[in-house]
Amino acid sequence: MKLVSSDSECMARLAAGDANALRDLYQRHGRALLRFSSAMCRSRQAAEDMVHDTFEALMREPVTFDPAQGTVFGYLCGVLRHRVSRHFRQQKRWVALDLDSDTSPAHSNDAHTPADEIARSEITMAFRRAMLELPLQHREVIALCDLEELPYAAVAGILDCPVGTVRSRLHRARALLTIRLASLELIDLENEPALAQRGLS
Amino acid sequence: MDTQDPHPHLAHLLKQYARDLAQGAPSPDLDARIGRLVAGGRQTVAPAPLNRSPVVRYAAAAAFAGLAIGAGVLLGMRLEHTRATLATAQARAHDTFWPPADLAMWPSDSVSFKIPAEYSAQGTLVAVDPDSKHGSTRYWIDVVVSNDGTFRIEQVVPADPAQKKGGHDGAAPPIR
Repeated sequence: MKLVSSDSECMARLAAGDANALRDLYQRHGRALLRFSSAMCRSRQAAEDMVHDTFEALMREPVTFDPAQGTVFGYLCGVLRHRVSRHFRQQKRWVALDLDSDTSPAHSNDAHTPADEIARSEITMAFRRAMLELPLQHREVIALCDLEELPYAAVAGILDCPVGTVRSRLHRARALLTIRLASLELIDLENEPALAQRGLS
Repeated sequence: MDTQDPHPHLAHLLKQYARDLAQGAPSPDLDARIGRLVAGGRQTVAPAPLNRSPVVRYAAAAAFAGLAIGAGVLLGMRLEHTRATLATAQARAHDTFWPPADLAMWPSDSVSFKIPAEYSAQGTLVAVDPDSKHGSTRYWIDVVVSNDGTFRIEQVVPADPAQKKGGHDGAAPPIR
C-alpha cells in the first residue's frame, strides 16, 4: 500500500474523516508498536489486543494528538502504554505469570544448529521471564530505551516525565534486570559487586 | 544523572531480545481486525470535529448567553411591571377603602328644627294639632337632622316662657 508523505498528514486526514489514514499509520507503526506491546505483555494475543485497542482509540479520537507535544509514534506509544497499564490493573488479581507457548518472540534464523536454536530459545525465554517480572514502569523504560532505542527526550514525552526521571528509572531497571538475570545464571556478577549492591538496594 | 551503559552481558541479551522481537510480525488476525476497523471507520468517523467544535461551542455559548440575558431582561421587566401594577392597585385600594384623613367621625352638616308638641291623652308627646281646642301645655322639641342620616332630639322645652326653667332662648311660636 502506498504510504503518505508524513505522519502529520495521516493524522490530519484521519481527523478529517479519512479512515484509510488509519491503515497508513498501522503500516508505518504497527510493527514497532507490536514490539513494544510484546515486551510489555505476557502473551502474544494480549499484545496484539493492545495494538488493536490503540488504533481503535486513535480512530475514535484522532483529534487528541497535539503535534507540538511529540511525534505520532510517541503519541501512539503513550496510548498503548496506558492501555497496557489498564490491562494489568484489570488482570492483576488472576493472571498467572506462566507464559503461553506463543509468548516467545519469533526466533531468528541465525542459529546454526538445532541445539543452538534450542539453547537460544531457552535464553530468550528466561530473559523474557525476567523482563516480565520487572515492575511496569521499569519494564516500559527498558522496552523504549534499550529495545526500541528511542532517545531519552522521546521516552520522557511518552512517559510524561522529566528526562532525569527516565535516566534514573532506566538505571534502576537495568540493575534490577541484571540481578534477576544473575540469579538465573544468565549473567556473571562475580566481578560486579557494586552493581549487585545497587540493584538490591 | 549518570546513566551508565548496561552490563555487557545484559547489553548482549537486550540486543538479542530486541532482534527476536523484531522478527515478530503482526498476525493476519490483527491485520484483519485493523482492516475491519478501517472499513467500519469510513462510516463512523465524523469529518473534522476539531475544526468545527470551537466555532460551534462559541456559537452555542453566545446563543445561550443571549438567551440568558434576554430572559433576565424580560423577567426584570415583568417584575417591574408587576410591582408598578401592585403599587397602583394598592393606592387605588387605599383610596377606595380607607377614609381620607380629613373625614371626621361626626357629620359635617346638620340642620335644626323646632317642632311644637303637646301631650296627648295617652300621655305621649305628639305634634300639636292646629284644630285642638284644649289648651294643654305646649313644648318645643329641638330636633337636629344630619346629612349622615342620623336624627336626634336636642332638648324639649316648654313653649310658655313662664314655664321655662332656663337655657332656652328661642321665642315661642305662635300657637294656633
